[in-house]
This record gives sequence, C-alpha cells and structure tokens, in this order.
Amino acid sequence: MKTIIASTWQEMLRRKMMLITFVLTVLFLAVFWFIADTVGADTRNGNDLLLQFTRRSAILSLGFFFGGFVVAFLAIFSSFSVISGESEQGVLQSVLTRPIPRWKWYVGRWIGYVSLIGAYALLLFAAILLITHAHAGMTRDYGDIWISLLLFLGAVPVLIGASMVGSTLFSGIGNGVFMTMLYGAGWLGGMVEKVRGVLPVEPDVQATLSRIGALLSLLMPADGLNRRMQFVLTQGAGETIPFLTGGNPPSNTFVWYAGIFAIFAFGLGLWLFKRKDF
Amino acid sequence: MNTRIPAIHTQALSKIYGNGRGCRNITLTVGQGEAFGFLGPNGAGKSTFVKTLVGLVRASEGSGSILGHPIGSLEARKQIGYLPELYRYPEWLSGEEVMKFHAGLLGIRGGEAKRRIRERLDEVGIGKRGSDRVKQYSKGMQQRLGLACALLGDPKLLFLDEPSSAMDPVGRKEVRELLLELKRRGTTLFLNSHLMEDVETVCDRMALMLNGDMIRTGPVEDVLKTKVRWRFKVGGFSPLILDWLREESRLNLKVADDADAAEAQWDAPVWLEAELVDENQAGLLNLLIVEQGMTLYESFVQKEKLEDWFVQTVSGRDQRGERG
Repeated sequence: MKTIIASTWQEMLRRKMMLITFVLTVLFLAVFWFIADTVGADTRNGNDLLLQFTRRSAILSLGFFFGGFVVAFLAIFSSFSVISGESEQGVLQSVLTRPIPRWKWYVGRWIGYVSLIGAYALLLFAAILLITHAHAGMTRDYGDIWISLLLFLGAVPVLIGASMVGSTLFSGIGNGVFMTMLYGAGWLGGMVEKVRGVLPVEPDVQATLSRIGALLSLLMPADGLNRRMQFVLTQGAGETIPFLTGGNPPSNTFVWYAGIFAIFAFGLGLWLFKRKDF
Repeated sequence: MNTRIPAIHTQALSKIYGNGRGCRNITLTVGQGEAFGFLGPNGAGKSTFVKTLVGLVRASEGSGSILGHPIGSLEARKQIGYLPELYRYPEWLSGEEVMKFHAGLLGIRGGEAKRRIRERLDEVGIGKRGSDRVKQYSKGMQQRLGLACALLGDPKLLFLDEPSSAMDPVGRKEVRELLLELKRRGTTLFLNSHLMEDVETVCDRMALMLNGDMIRTGPVEDVLKTKVRWRFKVGGFSPLILDWLREESRLNLKVADDADAAEAQWDAPVWLEAELVDENQAGLLNLLIVEQGMTLYESFVQKEKLEDWFVQTVSGRDQRGERG
C-alpha cells in the first residue's frame, strides 16, 4: 500500500497540481495580508474588544471563504478521474493484475489524496489564523481552534470519498461535472441558510428556506462543515459580513452526519471498485 | 514446479456483458511451456477472455485456473505477466519510475529491483532511454515499456495482447525474437495478436474466436498443412493445353490470380496452381508442361499462410465486430 500512497503523492507533485496551488495560495495570502491589515486597522490599540472581535470574525470569514473553495476544488480535481480516467488510459489494467488485493489499491489512493490535501489544508488553516492574529488578534481558546481545524480538515475525506465513488460510476469528465455540481449544491444550501438569516421574510418562508438549505447541505456536507468551523472559530459572531456569514450554523447532528457520509462514501466506493470490471 | 498442472485451464468460461457481447462457453487447456496463439477479428471476444483470465473482469459462468490457482486469485496473479492491449503509462513518470512502481507492487525492492529494471529495459531495447519521461516515448517505445513491465516479475505465464502492433518492422522482429527466447526458457506464452506472422513463428497451438465463441483450436502446423499449393510459371500457355494437362495429370490445375484462362496472352507468362499431395505430382506436372512445348520458368510450393487461413475461415460468416 505504501507504493500506492507514494505514487499518489508523486502524481500530484509531478503534475504540478500542488505547485500551482501553492503559488496561487501564496499570492492569495499576500492579498489576504493587506485585506486583514486594512480591516483590522481600527483594532490595533486593543481598547475596543467588541470591535476587535467583529473585525477578526470578518477577516476569518473572508479567509475561509477562499480556503474552503480551494481545498474543495483541489480535492475534487485531483481525484475525479482516479478510477475511470486510469481505466480509460489502460493504466489500471496493468496495475490490477499485480498480486495486490484491490482494496489495497483503493485505500492507498484514498490515503494518498486525503493525506496530501489534508497537509495543504492544515498549512492554509495555520496561515489564515496567523495573518488574522497579526492584524486583529486571535482567540486563545485552543480547544475551539482544534475543533475548527478538525472541521476544516473533515471536508477533505468527505469530498475525496464522494469523488472516488463517482469515479467508479462515471467517466472522468462526467465525474468532474458531477462533483462540481454536487459541491455547488452543498454550497448553495449554505447560501440559502445565510440568505434566510439576512432577508426580512415571514417565519413560514424562513422555515421553507431553512428546509431547502438543509436538504441541499445533506447532499454534500463539505461546505456545511466549513460553515460550522467558521462558527466555532468566530465564537458565534454571526452576521459580520452579509451573505458570507449569518444564518444558523450546522448542528452537532449535521457534523455526525458528515462523518457517517464520509465513511459511507469510502465503503461504497470500495465495494463498487472491488466488483468493477475493467 | 509440477508440469502436469496446466498453465491455463478453463471450463465453460463465459463473460457476457449487458449488450450480449463477450465470450461464451470457452473450454481450453494450455500446457506449461506452450506458446498459444489467440486469433479472431475485432470484437470477437478475445480481449474479454484474456481479461477474465487475468482477473480484470469477473466471469459470468464457468470456472478457470492459472497454474492450479483460481483465476483472479492473488496466487494466480503472482504467476502472470500481462501486457494490456490499450494502455498509456502516466506520462509524468520516466520509464524507470514506471518499472520501479511495478516492482513495488510485486514486492521487489532495493538492489534486486534495480537489477531487474535495468535488465528488462535492456532486453526490450529501451536501454538508457529508461530515464526519459514516458511523454517523450513513441507508441512503439511505450509498447516496449509495457512488455518490460510484464516481464518484471519473471512470470511463468505471460499474457500479451497485441504486443507489437505499434512497432516498426525492426521492433516487431526484436519482440518476436524475445518471445522465442522466453519460450526457450520455458515461459508459457498466451499471445493475442492480429499479426499472423507472430503467431505463425512463435506459437505451437492456436484458437480462433468468432462472435464470442471459440470455433477452432489446434496445433498451428495442422492448420497450415491442410493445403499444400504448388505454383508454376509457364510461357506459351493456351487454355486448350490447360484442359489437356488436367486430363493427363488428373489434377485440379488452374490459372492463378483469378485471371480468365481464355484471356491469357500466348506470349505472356502465366501462373498455374494446383493443390498437390506430394512432390511426385509436382514432378509429373513439370514433365507434362515441358512435353507440351511450354516454357517452365519457375515452380515452387506455396505454403498456406495463417493469414490466408484466417481470412478464409472468418469471411462469409456473420461478424459482430467493426463491420457488425
């Protein structure tokens, strides 16, 4: 399995996926530094704690709005053709006739993607927090920070698991479209919830919007985990930036659901892969 | 190694896809050390059968074993090397890195892996270009790399699906020589190829598939010696003489190349041909031709090529392949 994991890392590094992502991330972080500097300018004297709190929340929301997208798309576009694409090119045919059980190949690939993208997500998380801390101070509640980190990283196995399931069922390009739309649906669910929190509408309309948002978030819970992470990290700052924050955060039950979703996707993909004809 | 155990044995093995294609009811035994050719037009089900044997697809019905182990099992896969028909190795890797990856999958590491990789790359003619990225390889080079990968584990049984289809004539000859060398070393070869010359030169036995069914199997020699055709190049020919020659020799002599005997020019050489049992009959025909005052420029035995046999066997039958 080590060979499969190493080859997955090698693929992502050689195809310059990680290099491009790192270069663009550095550019983003440079821009983010100036944004954080501008937004946090009023809070430097440290007298107005409420102002510092809201500005910090706004900076974090902006940072993780980008961070959530980058991690999601990196996870999707690195893995969407892992099975169908390699099968179409005939790469898998020479690999799967080797004396290794199929599950080892699948698990090795999954670990390879999750570990490398997880490492990137960890660095991005730390960078966003450090920049925010430099300009608006950071919470010293390390428990919240750890939980936020786990929630941020949690999106990676959710997306990789779903993408690998799709790759056993659809063609490479088909799965790319499927995963982008699935992630888009989950993201839209979050947006519906945020809009519901901002719009001055009747309670029954709010309830309907909330149900629609929840259902869409259940289709792909990655963005929901990101929203919950932001809620924990900003200690429930709520609507600091309209349409970026606001609405009710996903519940603990939702977080459990996301965990079960990731495990189910992993198991389903493995089951399908073991039975697939190549 | 118990040589009584067949390298490949299948019993009514079938793989039927949703569209009804695949292969049906194949019962086949290939002995250890044998070179077996697998022929058939496109879409006949050859690759499906091979994929079933190497464990890439699950059989719908029937059973099979590789050197005594059930097909698809890890033990069976330890014994085989497989060169797929259509494949493309990751172009961001070098040839050596592709080999190193496959060595890792085979559990071959360290100095042993390095030695084998170097040997196999030299054997297939890639040599020092092994350090180049795969994206710089021609199709023929990629096919050589595929062959090197298939040979990496020193397999007892080698499945080759069109091993030299993308190669130039020199490459094909080199591959053919390599296959003959492997055969001499005792490796069992299962060759799925459209290149009849490869099958004719390398294989001991062969099977023909058509529309998912195995319609014929037997030694290559038996297939090729079903007919021995002699050809005679003669001058001063006339159609009247042809009738006389038939009567005298009691042989079915005819004008070759589909030319109408009546249209043959008296001053142009004509090719005559006949299916003969032995050289005595050829000698008789030579004598009669000369007796009639014709000039005999040349006479030789034309062994039937496997390609001719293949075309004759499949033509006229319904095919579900490219033309289906």
